[in-house]
Amino acid sequence: MHAFSPILLLAQAVSPEDITREMARLQRNYEFLSYGLIVAWLVLVVYVLMLVNRERRLKREIGRLKAMLEERQKK
Amino acid sequence: MREKLLYLLGAAAILIVARNIYVISGLPGEESQGAIFKIIFFHVPLAITALTCGTVACVASVSFLVTKDFKYDALAVSVTEVGLAFLAGNLITGSIWARIIWGVWWAWDVRLTSALVCWMLYASYLMIRHAVEEPTQRARLAAVVSIFAFIDVPIVILSIRLFRTQHPGPVFFSSTGSFPHDWSMIMMWNLFAMFMLGAVFTVIRLRQEETQRELDSLRRMAHAF
Repeated sequence: MHAFSPILLLAQAVSPEDITREMARLQRNYEFLSYGLIVAWLVLVVYVLMLVNRERRLKREIGRLKAMLEERQKK
Repeated sequence: MREKLLYLLGAAAILIVARNIYVISGLPGEESQGAIFKIIFFHVPLAITALTCGTVACVASVSFLVTKDFKYDALAVSVTEVGLAFLAGNLITGSIWARIIWGVWWAWDVRLTSALVCWMLYASYLMIRHAVEEPTQRARLAAVVSIFAFIDVPIVILSIRLFRTQHPGPVFFSSTGSFPHDWSMIMMWNLFAMFMLGAVFTVIRLRQEETQRELDSLRRMAHAF
């Protein structure tokens, strides 16, 4: 009987509300975690957009120069 | 074929990260930090990827100085730019974690300061490249700056072992680490995904560098006419 007494005490002391409260306590700062993840991925997305923009600019410039050189060769 | 493989790698990396975000969201919070500790699953892989980029840039820069082959210069600039983006992500996630746990956005701690200096050194590498017009001179000067900047990489890595810092000690790859094995595996998968993303970005950037060289030669031709 003596060996079971801590379990009995625990069963009496811990209510479902306590468990919910403890779970909420462990999951606190979740909001800031999501901010952190959003910002980290945003940095990489911005870099991808910069890459795409540069790709477009280079292609446009090459097309323009090639057309200009062809024009000059015709003359 | 190469293009498809590149997109496939990128998509696979995003899928791995998406799956990991789902798994990580289900993990219990930490006793003293709550859910914010989970940021480590992204903060550490971002740092490792960035510092690996710095190492590759240094090797490429030394190779350029030895061989004078411009493909190494192109690799150095591509990988440095990608590393800079990853290091920015690392600094921002660290700063958000610090705001909750330390109560400040930033502390002039050895690890934080050396990482910021590292970011600034690689940013100055890119700025120097913009400032010098002549390609050979630009590549040589940039290679020297990249090798100089690399000195900071081991300082960033070893700072938490060599100095008493406010930054937490290593929890992965360390005998004093306290992360369960399955959590370490999630971190390893995230690291793998970041490496894949880094490789995809580097290849795309490398291709742009080749296009830039083609553009420069076309400009020279246009001037010669």
